Amino acid sequence: MDAQNGAAGATSQPATFQDVIMALQHYWAEQGCVILQPYDGAVGAGTNHTATTLRSLGPDTWRTGYVQGCRRPTDGRYGENPNRLQYYYQFQVLMKPSPDDIQDLYLGSLRAIGIEPDEHDVRFVEDDWESPTLGAWGLGWEVWIDGMEVTQFTYFQQVGGFECRPVPVELAYGLERLTMYIQGVDSVYDIVWARGDDGVEFTYGDVYLDNEKQFSTYNFEIGNTDFLFALFNDCEAEAKACLDAHLPLPAYDWVLKCCHTFNLLDARGVISATERMAYILRVRSMAKECCASYLEYVVGQAPADEDGEGEGE
Amino acid sequence: MATKTLAFEIGTEEIPAFDLDSATKQLAEMAPAAFDAARIPYERIDVLTSPRRLIVMAYGVAEQTEALAEEHKGPAAKIAFDEDGNPTKAAEGFARGKGIDVSELQRREVDGTEYVFACTNVPATPVASLLPDVLAGLIPAIKWPRSCRWASYDEYFVRPVRWIVAMLDADVLPVSFAGAQAGNQTMGHRVLAPGFHQVPTADKLPDVLRGIGVLPSQEEREQAIRAGVADIEADLGLEVRLPQKTLLEVTNLSECPQPVCGTFDEEFLQVPEEIIVDAMLMHQRYFPLYDKQGALTNRFIITSNGDPKHAAAIVDGNERVVRARLDDAKFFYEEDLKNPLESYVEKLDEVVFQEQLGTVKAKAERLRALGAHLAADAGLDAAQAEQVQRACYLCKADLVTNAVIEFTSVQGIMGSYYATASGEDEAVAHAIGQHYRPRFAGDDLPDTQVGQLVALADKLDTICGLFAVGQGPTGTSDPFALRRACLGIVSMLDAGLPVSLGSAIDQALDGYAGVDFDRKAVRDQIEEFFTTRTKVLLRDAGCSADAVDAVLAAGVTEPAVVMAHTRALEQARSSSPEVMGNLATAYARANNLRDPQLGDEVDQALLTAPEQALADAIEQVQGSVSEALSADDYPQALAQLASLRAPVDRFFEEVMVMDEDQRVRENRLKLLNRFVGVFANVADFGTLAKG
Repeated sequence: MDAQNGAAGATSQPATFQDVIMALQHYWAEQGCVILQPYDGAVGAGTNHTATTLRSLGPDTWRTGYVQGCRRPTDGRYGENPNRLQYYYQFQVLMKPSPDDIQDLYLGSLRAIGIEPDEHDVRFVEDDWESPTLGAWGLGWEVWIDGMEVTQFTYFQQVGGFECRPVPVELAYGLERLTMYIQGVDSVYDIVWARGDDGVEFTYGDVYLDNEKQFSTYNFEIGNTDFLFALFNDCEAEAKACLDAHLPLPAYDWVLKCCHTFNLLDARGVISATERMAYILRVRSMAKECCASYLEYVVGQAPADEDGEGEGE
Repeated sequence: MATKTLAFEIGTEEIPAFDLDSATKQLAEMAPAAFDAARIPYERIDVLTSPRRLIVMAYGVAEQTEALAEEHKGPAAKIAFDEDGNPTKAAEGFARGKGIDVSELQRREVDGTEYVFACTNVPATPVASLLPDVLAGLIPAIKWPRSCRWASYDEYFVRPVRWIVAMLDADVLPVSFAGAQAGNQTMGHRVLAPGFHQVPTADKLPDVLRGIGVLPSQEEREQAIRAGVADIEADLGLEVRLPQKTLLEVTNLSECPQPVCGTFDEEFLQVPEEIIVDAMLMHQRYFPLYDKQGALTNRFIITSNGDPKHAAAIVDGNERVVRARLDDAKFFYEEDLKNPLESYVEKLDEVVFQEQLGTVKAKAERLRALGAHLAADAGLDAAQAEQVQRACYLCKADLVTNAVIEFTSVQGIMGSYYATASGEDEAVAHAIGQHYRPRFAGDDLPDTQVGQLVALADKLDTICGLFAVGQGPTGTSDPFALRRACLGIVSMLDAGLPVSLGSAIDQALDGYAGVDFDRKAVRDQIEEFFTTRTKVLLRDAGCSADAVDAVLAAGVTEPAVVMAHTRALEQARSSSPEVMGNLATAYARANNLRDPQLGDEVDQALLTAPEQALADAIEQVQGSVSEALSADDYPQALAQLASLRAPVDRFFEEVMVMDEDQRVRENRLKLLNRFVGVFANVADFGTLAKG
């Protein structure tokens, strides 16, 4: 097996899920990153954490790494699909400005979790990233290890329609996939999450299978759509009120709630294709306003270059 | 004179495969042009590239440029100097334009007039002093579809530039870009020879790279892949297909490609082959292996960029990815099979066809109506007509199945599998499977008439709908691939599909009754669109433009008819060029002289012998041309017209049309009116005469 060193310590058993997380935290802490805890509200991706979205803006140096639980209600499979979850974990790293040796730093992080890059086929395969709801885009790759996509690697160019100067680099590791790879298991539910000295193991299934079943049922069948439609409007109004008070951080918190509410409605199948576009636009315009407000009231710079399209587009 | 070698390497993070191919081609043109513009002599320039580097090698580079003495003739002296002998604005401007002081202008007489001359001398310049700017200029000149900034730099490139090698023989040239300073150190293969490696002299760069695990050109890497693939084929007695696009991609996804062979569990071969191939080629860039009979096997080729020592672990990892993917595919396929294909049509109501044109469900219903019309027009029997309508209604249903959502390239094909599994008629399933054909120029047409009618209905509905909402193609923008759809329809009609495009367009537009548009204008645009594409198709097939125009001028619009007539006309012209040429000339002459107001009631009593001969010939040909046309025998119509050549030539030779006697003159003009009239429904021979 691959994970004989680093994360797995002295034992001959492969790294557990929590070993992988702790190894990544330790590694990126050594690179000078602030190790944060997950954003405490529902988000669809590690990128949505304020520590990435908002902190990507402005001239200051910023380095962080954190685990983020991500909610994707439409991806629920009632716990029956070995590869798909409506709640899963990313490990997110953001470094601004992007270090010149970031690719090597990344390969070093693989070593830290027991994957020796020299013994595998590690590829950087073109994958341009774009988030319509955040008005953000960047260029980069999906990183493949022996044909498996394990990390999204992106140089952010714009967030909220604003140019990122300096440019941050984002790494988003798919923790379940990486651990499945390291442990050699074919179902996410067979991942060993923790292992005691007495040999007692807890699997991903022990921890999360019920969660997947129950939330899949809730997301697809139970969610009260009238309530959710009203909730979307209420959250949007609250975000506006915060923006009016020049409070971009709480405003953004409500925007994230709008996002999740929209995703729940989507999973209930009650958003038609035309409405979908309209909802995405509503979220995007709020996200952009949050970014503008953040630049103005937190960073302290007038948001002059909105939608400034670099020559890169 | 001694010459030197230049090596220039832009070292980057991984460049996207197709962007790299484009940059390689751009540099091969830009680099020599930049050397020429700077007047740097060289013998040969090679461009070498890999995913992490773009290299210009220049051999036989002279140490200095040649001195250049030039003399430029300026304005006449009397314009360049005023009466007092002072230089005018004209003289100053000329001198400035040539980069010299006005006092340096010389005066000399040419053919009796005195002019000013500017004589400039560009001295020989050391190439080493010119190269840094030339090389630095190449970096931002490469065009990328998308480029990015990184760290705190303002420069843009496709991905971050991390190192530069710029050497003239052993000397490093000062070039920098976004924080990277040129040196004599290149970077090895990530795994096989990581880190920096010294380049002793410029000419050694390619070999240094080969020694550190980098095959520095697309050709070398493609060769390595082909050789490795051939070995595997020979070993296993199997065969591989290398689609050009995927081959280029894998060629540019590795610096040292090594094909290795993987296996998946045979039970997955129960999944439709198309999904397996899609998962392999599109998602993982693997090449599936087939046996000698062409059947898919459970072996596939991975193009690894890793260390051959660890090939077993790399194959094992890739096999696990394939297993997960095929597991997904199998799961999706089996899930999809739990419901009949028809049940998915309802769900098409959630898929937007086009914002103003409603959902795909609405499209399926329009297709059914259009299919009924087409089946009737093609004269199908009731059973076949029902097959067309059924296939039209079901052909989009697979868009909402799991397998197609996950593996988009198998749309249509999955529908066909699901139709069969749902107990649909075999002809219906077959038509569904082929209704996206032809997918590109030269692709096979659906091989049944039912299939062709479904394919035509689908494409025509899309064209008519998008034109109705003003979304027809413009310039290079054709987001709905309407041109391809149009060519597909024309190809099927030309291959003999017996339906009228004109009435099909009417029927398709009827389907958009709920959309607000100017029906006449839109219909004209669509007809024009088909005519233009038909012309392009004919031109591409080698037909001359005037032949197409001559046929179109006769008022035919059905693409199949236009194509058949144009080909017949071209055939007649090439088999008897003299007859057709003369006939065209005579037609043009008659057409210029004729006076339509006089009508064509010829007074037989006034005719002389040659006029009578022409009149008789016209009389006879007129009947046989319209007979030939109604029998759809266009070559016969042309042959009949050709028989007019002798009498009309004789007429123009022996008869003076513009006789002084008005009655005679007008009678002759009436005869010419009749002559021109015979051609009306065949082709405008006047167009042919212009060439």
